[in-house]
Amino acid sequence: MITLQELMKEIKNLKPIPAVVNQLLTVVDHPDSSMEDISNVIQYDPAITASVLKTCNSAFFGLKHPAESIKDAVNMLGTDQVIELVLLKSGAKALAGSQKGYGMERGDMWRYSVSSAMIAKQVAVKLSLKNKNTIFTSALIKDIGKIILEPHVYDSFQKIKDLVERKNFSFREAEKKIIGIDHAELGAMIAKMWKFSPKMIKIIRHHHLPDETMIKDKEIAAVYLSDCICMMMGAGVGSDGLSYWFKPQVIKELGLSADDVTLIIAEFGMNMQAVEELLHIV
Amino acid sequence: MKQIVGVADMKVSNNPAESIITYSLGSCIGVVIYDPVVKVGGLLHYMLPESSIDQDKAAARPYMFADSGIPRLFKTAYQLGAVKRRMKIYAAGGAEILDQKGFFNIGKRNYMALKKIFFKNNVMINRQDVGGNVNRTVRIEIATGDIYVKTSGSREVKI
Repeated sequence: MITLQELMKEIKNLKPIPAVVNQLLTVVDHPDSSMEDISNVIQYDPAITASVLKTCNSAFFGLKHPAESIKDAVNMLGTDQVIELVLLKSGAKALAGSQKGYGMERGDMWRYSVSSAMIAKQVAVKLSLKNKNTIFTSALIKDIGKIILEPHVYDSFQKIKDLVERKNFSFREAEKKIIGIDHAELGAMIAKMWKFSPKMIKIIRHHHLPDETMIKDKEIAAVYLSDCICMMMGAGVGSDGLSYWFKPQVIKELGLSADDVTLIIAEFGMNMQAVEELLHIV
Repeated sequence: MKQIVGVADMKVSNNPAESIITYSLGSCIGVVIYDPVVKVGGLLHYMLPESSIDQDKAAARPYMFADSGIPRLFKTAYQLGAVKRRMKIYAAGGAEILDQKGFFNIGKRNYMALKKIFFKNNVMINRQDVGGNVNRTVRIEIATGDIYVKTSGSREVKI
């Protein structure tokens, strides 16, 4: 078992997600915000601004004239695309590494996180959910706890695996039982220390739905379903594999049918090549 | 040289210098075929069982579905001289998320679709690594027909 003090110390050593994310999320999911408000928040962070402009001007987007400011980029690519790039850029450094304890090589966690965020956004748009950027960002960083938990998972891997294979535990349940905390709880702790919104902390905490009553929260349900879909599609999945519970009531709770979910998967299949290209430029 | 098969993608080769690989199968299925006489091999990575769910997507990405992808895999190999009765067949993937009710079992549905198509066409699977909760990466070497499978966090093994 690991102590809370040890964990806090390790969290402080993490590469943090830039503060611009919090400010941006409070602005973008607010119905009265203007394009100008959004540009202003982004411009406040020069490193992110430079990095986003560089990507906007890459061959991927094929702009006729280079974007020289966030306002230009918003005008040429649309607000949603620019916001998505800022959110992706913000998570890129923190999620880039390899996670030996989870059998993930360099880039695996990033690929998984981006794919999961893309599916979550697709679900949010399909269901016309509010706060789609909060949903996107929560899906993007929900596994951040794995970065801290990873060496502990590595040390106890055999014990965790035994519970999963012999006792019908999910990987998360086994982490909790053996290490004393699971990656979702730890992710919520990190999100709290980084001063993310209570809504995001809650989504991260419940992204494997340990408490089934949380399914009533549409944002949690959307991120949870997207994570299950992403896991089945396999991109960037580690040695924890697909060892997580799927609760079918999530589909009904979101007002979807099984065919709708299959269509979401097919739609994601159409976008996967674009996601792969995006991974290389962000 | 390594030819990479993406998700909803397929490659067939008769170049002995090549190997064909697909990563991270999850609930998707990787079908590997090989004719040892002409040394033609192919690999398909499909995501879903039936194209009837969305015909437009099936037209744009036929390798996304079992029923539109598998026939194309075989036909492409025939064009390079492969013959059905000589073909060695291997299938991997179809992993399942933990689901007590089995309601959302895409892995199993993907596998059933494969079995159905093979049964109708009188094709036998020689070897398979299907089901479970693991993520698999599969590779075939065209020169030898040797097939390798790797689950996340473990080493690659020859099957």
